[in-house]
Amino acid sequence: MEITITLRGTLKKLFGEDKERKVEVPEGCTCDEALQVAGINYREIPNFGFVAVNGMRVMIDDKLSPGDELKAWSRVSGG
Amino acid sequence: MKRLKFAKEKCIGCQLCAQVCSAMKEGEYIPSKARIAIETCYDNGNLKYMDHFCILCGMCAKACPVEAISIGEYIQVDEEKCIGCGACAEKCPKHVVQIRDEIAYICDTCKGDPTCVKTCPQNALTFE
Amino acid sequence: MTNTMLGYQNKVLRIDLTKKGATFEPLRMDFARKYVGSKGLAIRYMYEELEPGIDPLGPENKLFLTTGPLTGTPVPCSGKLSVAAKSPATGTMNDCSIGGHVGIRLKFAGYDMAIFEGKLKEPGYVLIDNDRIRFMDATDLWGLGSHETESILAKKYGPEYSIMSIGPAGENLCVMSCINSDYYRQAGRGGIGAVMGSKNMKAIVIRGTGGVKVNDIVNTTNRIIEILREDVVTEDNDFIFHDGTTAFLEACNDGGILPWKNFSDTTDEKWTEYNGEVLKQYREGKRGCGSCGLGCGNFLKIGDAICEGPEYESISVAGPNAGIRDPEKIVKFNQVADDMGLDTISAGDTIIWAMEMTEKGIHDFGIKFGEADKMIEYLKLMAKNEGVGKDLALGTKRASEKYGGTEFAMQVKGLEYPQYEPRGSWAMSVSYAVSDRGACHMRSYAPNAEVFEASAPPYTGENKGQLVYDLAEFNAIKFSLCICDFWGTITYDIMAELLTRVTGVEWTTEQMAEIGRRVINIGRAFNQREGFDRKHDTVPKRVVTEALKSGPAKGQVIPQEVFDDMLTQYYNVMGWDENGLMPEELIASIL
Repeated sequence: MEITITLRGTLKKLFGEDKERKVEVPEGCTCDEALQVAGINYREIPNFGFVAVNGMRVMIDDKLSPGDELKAWSRVSGG
Repeated sequence: MKRLKFAKEKCIGCQLCAQVCSAMKEGEYIPSKARIAIETCYDNGNLKYMDHFCILCGMCAKACPVEAISIGEYIQVDEEKCIGCGACAEKCPKHVVQIRDEIAYICDTCKGDPTCVKTCPQNALTFE
Repeated sequence: MTNTMLGYQNKVLRIDLTKKGATFEPLRMDFARKYVGSKGLAIRYMYEELEPGIDPLGPENKLFLTTGPLTGTPVPCSGKLSVAAKSPATGTMNDCSIGGHVGIRLKFAGYDMAIFEGKLKEPGYVLIDNDRIRFMDATDLWGLGSHETESILAKKYGPEYSIMSIGPAGENLCVMSCINSDYYRQAGRGGIGAVMGSKNMKAIVIRGTGGVKVNDIVNTTNRIIEILREDVVTEDNDFIFHDGTTAFLEACNDGGILPWKNFSDTTDEKWTEYNGEVLKQYREGKRGCGSCGLGCGNFLKIGDAICEGPEYESISVAGPNAGIRDPEKIVKFNQVADDMGLDTISAGDTIIWAMEMTEKGIHDFGIKFGEADKMIEYLKLMAKNEGVGKDLALGTKRASEKYGGTEFAMQVKGLEYPQYEPRGSWAMSVSYAVSDRGACHMRSYAPNAEVFEASAPPYTGENKGQLVYDLAEFNAIKFSLCICDFWGTITYDIMAELLTRVTGVEWTTEQMAEIGRRVINIGRAFNQREGFDRKHDTVPKRVVTEALKSGPAKGQVIPQEVFDDMLTQYYNVMGWDENGLMPEELIASIL
């Protein structure tokens, strides 16, 4: 299935010039797996933050559906 | 010859320069005795930079009546010769010279490896 | 048991405002060994010196300015000052944290702590010039805004002096009044300004030209510089210099916790109209605190509004939470609040509560969402106790008890909600409920885990008692060293190493956790002695009855039973009973 991935914050540079990328992923794959298809392993990015799908907050192991928009943010921390 | 340079748009007024200078030279964190003093404050609705650092202009050496100050790669004060008259302090355009107990204390760039530059967190201070 | 520790001055300045006298005494090193400094040390002293039941606005309350052993050293982000007293807003203990340069100057003046007792007969200010203390007349300053006061005193004394001052809000004993320094830095919350006002103290002026001695200073300094480069000024922390706290706007908006119109919803699709990118265009300079490394302060001018900031809290409360999107008005709100000496969070929350009250027809406070000019005007009325300001100056708790609308009076114990919606980060509802001074985000900062780094799922109560504790412990020890929040990557290992190197006495990683726990407990013990228990650890009705209608957390509401369960979990983790009470043995063990 096809999904769209957008990166925000300091993660943006991982996609170079592209604002977003469309990727072909297996049915029922997780956000983590979809990012890996796009060349991003969140475990290797110390300031990887959170993800949202179609504007809703989800966790990295939540599953995707066809046509979903997956966004990932870099981390801020503070108070 | 390398000199200290200051880019004020990068300065955050943290005063770490003066703290580490005094640590190396005075054995205490005591900015009032440092050979560098860069601070910022708000003055009349504007951000004001007070940047007192040695630019190696050599005015101190020229002013010294007893030739106690030499200037090569950095400034050195011969404490035996120095009489604490304060002529160097008066002439210093950056107001960095300190006269204490009849001795002049002037920045010597930590003999060419300035600690303040190593410390300045946003690289407002460079040595080039 | 306690060897002499370097880093400390081993000197407390005690000022008797009634008698206009000042004495010096040694620091309680036994307290310091158990509580380190700043937050922890201040609360321990308060537990010792403030009898239960005293009037926070009476002469028996004391104002504690407390530094830590790292203050006045180049340890990055170590320049903040704890400003503590019993809170007029809540009746609990209150410990604020002010940035700028006053903290390091107090330490260089030779003091770990300055304690202000009693009350001046006439408006005055205290001048601390190293070891010379003078009591000065402030009749000409009384009534002036904090900014004008600071300008006058700065002109008189020069930039070597730090000035802490209150505005009309503090003079009028408003429970939301703050103390300002460096014009735009505050000891903000809990009515700390009113404590100064109740003592007729308009300002505290401090100059310090002494030093701080530490162990093995050359090696210690070189190691500090290494840590600065390796762990503080890193790419991960870059956003602090470039954006400051405005970086939280996108994260909170897209993370589902940016509040909208008095927490009635979340998210503003038009957040880019007033965000960090917009504000950056008006920036004139950067500023950080003493010994900072990151420099979060953004000095800007937009229209006739001028301020260092505005911070995330102020942008949110005067922006989306008020239904306002005009960046100039948001900055103006911040400037006027600072000048009047009002906490932007509490004053802002009270005004937006009044907007909802008016729009719902429950009580007409004469202001609706989106009315930015009125919001700014109301700040002045609240500070001066005039017109509708008389009622609003009471804060949301007391005003809602008088007029209704308690379900959406977003406060705990009388301290208003910071700008993070707990329905988007469930543990935060408990963080707010159990915080030692009322609803505060700087104790257990749940959004770090539940949103920004997504290490805990946000919409469940599972394991949240432990999460609230872990985050609270981390901040409690951090703010006792004292290290600013923005050094987010600091670890217990680094804390222990820094303390050991600076003081010359061994501190271990395990002790950091122990002390964090102890600091939480001493705050709770103080409040327990004042009569607080589980029934005061509350959540506003809105959070447990209304589902969010939009945003990344759309549909979320925290069921009351889940809140109750998370709270009980937390008490279990702390070893407190079902009622949130500490057993006697536990209290005895931390003193």
